[in-house]
Amino acid sequence: MLSISLINILFTVINILILLFFVKKFLFGKIDEIIKKRQEEVDEATVAADKATAEARAIKKEYEKKIELADEEKEQILSDIKKLGYEEYERIVMDARKTGDKIVKEARQNARAEAEKERELHADELKDMVIDAAAKIAATKHSSEDDSLLYDKFINEARANNG
Amino acid sequence: MKEMLNELLMADKTLIHVPFGNGFFDIYKSVVVSWIVLAILIVMIVALTSNLKVHNISKRQAAVESAVLWIRGVVGELLGEEAIGYAPYIVTVLIFIAFSNMIGLIGLVPPTMDLNVTLALSLMSIVLVELAGIIKKGPKKWLKSFTEPMAVITFMNVLELFIRPLSLCMRLFGNILGATVIMELIKHVVPIILPAALSIYFDIFDGCIQAYVFCFLTSLYIKEAVE
Amino acid sequence: MSLTAIGAAIAAFTGIGAGIGISLATAKATDAVARQPEADGKIMRLLILGCALAEATAIYGFVVAIMIILFS
Repeated sequence: MLSISLINILFTVINILILLFFVKKFLFGKIDEIIKKRQEEVDEATVAADKATAEARAIKKEYEKKIELADEEKEQILSDIKKLGYEEYERIVMDARKTGDKIVKEARQNARAEAEKERELHADELKDMVIDAAAKIAATKHSSEDDSLLYDKFINEARANNG
Repeated sequence: MKEMLNELLMADKTLIHVPFGNGFFDIYKSVVVSWIVLAILIVMIVALTSNLKVHNISKRQAAVESAVLWIRGVVGELLGEEAIGYAPYIVTVLIFIAFSNMIGLIGLVPPTMDLNVTLALSLMSIVLVELAGIIKKGPKKWLKSFTEPMAVITFMNVLELFIRPLSLCMRLFGNILGATVIMELIKHVVPIILPAALSIYFDIFDGCIQAYVFCFLTSLYIKEAVE
Repeated sequence: MSLTAIGAAIAAFTGIGAGIGISLATAKATDAVARQPEADGKIMRLLILGCALAEATAIYGFVVAIMIILFS
């Protein structure tokens, strides 16, 4: 029962070493490899996710800036348009005023010319009348009463003509 | 009674007789059974760790992974942070002793019932413990550690070097021997039902506890040596 | 034969010490777990260690008893 044999002890030691090799190489080695790979993948994914987040943040910032710029541009364009519109308005108004002035001036000129013409016409008539009257006076011999009557008549005639 | 014990314990252990060397090279039955245990373990390890994948793991792989991590956690807790590198050896011894103790379930005699196997295990353990001390402290400091905490105790420390493996060896051997003898006695008295129930305690529970105790003590010694 | 049987019986008395040792260790361990339930893992480990050490004496007695029977 208690016999000890060196060769069997040696065999057992060899057995344990073989098993140790298998445990170390296969059981622990392979599982460790798998776990390490998985860890690496997780790390990679984490890094990629971080990168993507940073990128997204940068893009967001860029867009915000762009939107700000667009706002400014809008203001600019709006103000430009307003300015342009004012100018146009001014111009149109100015044109209208000019046109109006011109029309008024023309109308005035026309009126003046008309008046002038009428006056000339009157003057002609008056001249004719005067000439007529003078001729009548010259043709007839008359008294001073007659003269004054005639004058009155003439003036009345002229007043009536003149309106 | 004595005949039964004689039959059980005094039988010729030689299984393979080598014609030369005057019986020195005879291979015992326990070694052959431990080869069988070894074959079972190696086939299991290779089969369980084959076809491992990183993604979409099968249930088998998940079970193996969690079992490996768990057993490493248990052993690592015993060893402490500094001696974690010795975990594979402890795990090897643990599964070897546990399966050797449980081989009685399939009707074979456990290899750990032979003094040669337990002696080899305890010798390896004590060599590893002292090697761990030498690697960690250096030969000079290691020799000096025998005189600690005082010089008077040196003899006791040297004696401990022999007592520890002897204690490890005899504990495992005696436990398995006792379990087997008690099982034989019970089989002698009540041949059915009761032995089946008790074999669960003696073969599985006691076997695992003894394997755990062996590894626990070994890792305790290693932890002490590297401190 | 009768004397060897008595010798084996005396060797088997080592079981008393182991029984007392293990029961003391278990009692203290139960106490400790009741006091600090969060440390039960460590306590369990120490209990198993103590039991293994105490049990060793019983195992030695058992081996001696078997040797007395077989080699007398």
